[in-house]
Amino acid sequence: MKRLEGKRAVVTGGGSGIGKASAIRLAREGASVFVVGRSANTEETVEEIRAEGGTALGMITDASLEDNVAEIVRRCLSEVGGLEIFFANIGVTGTNTPLLDQSVEEWMEVYRINTVSCFLAIKYAGAHMTAQRYGSIILTSSAASLRANAGAISYSASKAAVNNLAQTAANAFAGTGVRVNAVLPGLVETQLTRKVFEDARARGVESKIGHVTPLKRPGRADEIAAAVAFLASDDSSYVDGQLLSVDGGVSSTHPFGRIALPN
Amino acid sequence: MSRRFAGRVCVVTGAARGIGLAIAQRLGSEGGRIAALDVSARRLEPAVNELKAKGFEARGYALDVSDRVAVRSEFGRIERDFGAPISVLVNNAVWARFMPLADIDEETSRRMLSVGVEGLFWTTQAAAPQMARNGGGAIVNLTSVSAAHPAKHSIAYSAVKAGVTGLTRASATELAPQGIRVNAIAPGMIGTPASIAQFDEATIATRQTEMPLGRFGAPEEIAALAAFLASDEASYLQGAVVTADGGWTVPAR
Repeated sequence: MKRLEGKRAVVTGGGSGIGKASAIRLAREGASVFVVGRSANTEETVEEIRAEGGTALGMITDASLEDNVAEIVRRCLSEVGGLEIFFANIGVTGTNTPLLDQSVEEWMEVYRINTVSCFLAIKYAGAHMTAQRYGSIILTSSAASLRANAGAISYSASKAAVNNLAQTAANAFAGTGVRVNAVLPGLVETQLTRKVFEDARARGVESKIGHVTPLKRPGRADEIAAAVAFLASDDSSYVDGQLLSVDGGVSSTHPFGRIALPN
Repeated sequence: MSRRFAGRVCVVTGAARGIGLAIAQRLGSEGGRIAALDVSARRLEPAVNELKAKGFEARGYALDVSDRVAVRSEFGRIERDFGAPISVLVNNAVWARFMPLADIDEETSRRMLSVGVEGLFWTTQAAAPQMARNGGGAIVNLTSVSAAHPAKHSIAYSAVKAGVTGLTRASATELAPQGIRVNAIAPGMIGTPASIAQFDEATIATRQTEMPLGRFGAPEEIAALAAFLASDEASYLQGAVVTADGGWTVPAR
């Protein structure tokens, strides 16, 4: 018996990167997956899952807008037949504009996509899950939510808000059987971070990427997906309101890449 | 997926009962070859028999983890007995007493620190070279929400567990180059007979209402988390402290 047999999962940002890897992973563990993305690659994820013998449906929409999130949950319930897992995973990076020059417009946009999207997932998935008294909501945060200099400032602040939302929503859902947790990836090559990797390759320093982490390498999307699958499953049945760092150790140490250590 | 520890030698300390036994059972159920350690040979025997009865490969080692010399020699014996180096170490053993500040005496303090903190130095010291020779390994340490959120009469206990959190993170940094991952679990209130016995019914009822999940955890739930952290599934987790407390420490009150 697979760990997620019979479960129905929404994955937003499912067309690429961590979302795609997670959708595939949840399907491999037996879940029927409703893959949501903004572009045509959403269907590629669906096709990959089906090619492996899994069950998936796709929906192309912007999961940062309220009506769309309501529609995602409605369609998952009617077309997939239920909803036990919601992985709220869409995000934008913000810009590296110097702090004093940043605009309210950028902040509002980053917050809308990174933070409000999580609120909406909790609101609409939570309404169904609390009624059925079972569910797991997983929010994508970031190591940048805990430390400076791991992402743009607006991005880092928006992800810190996501952490708080995991805690406050878990508390708001006390006694309902619905768990809310956040996963905090470190540096992983995805659409969002591709420029970091491409710049490093262009400069011939790709092997230095991730060197500030104790594991001395960047993460892979499938490693984040494994943690998402854990949080989605009953293996994490006593884990609630938590921030799960999957970052090679970057948040647990000094940024010791700047000083000389053996090896 | 369900055989994540196939062929791997897994050492669990404090394995004769409670959370430690649940972890040994979970790792065994996923194919792990279990070295069950406990200070009490009397308690260990039925636990090891229980593991074997489930069809797991299990051996018992009666050992006080605070004894550095004994730990070193027993970890060597484990490698010889299993014919393979240790892959997984779960540091679960602890000796705990809860008391007001004025009642802490030298004997209690020494015993708590020597088992609950120094014991992890010795087991980690003994296991790490075997893991390194094996191309890496995973260590899971049991800390507690008491490290950061101490309850009543926990001065010594919270000091021990804060020590475990610190040594986990420092070990994660130091042992990473050898391919060894080190992470910790911070359980909240887990309904083992030993923990339930500390409280009257009214206290238990109050505690449960403080938790978003509204109940004490089961040892099996901590074991499921330990198995995740000890497995290759957690390959990018390092120095992480994962709390499993039903959300107990999430709200301010």
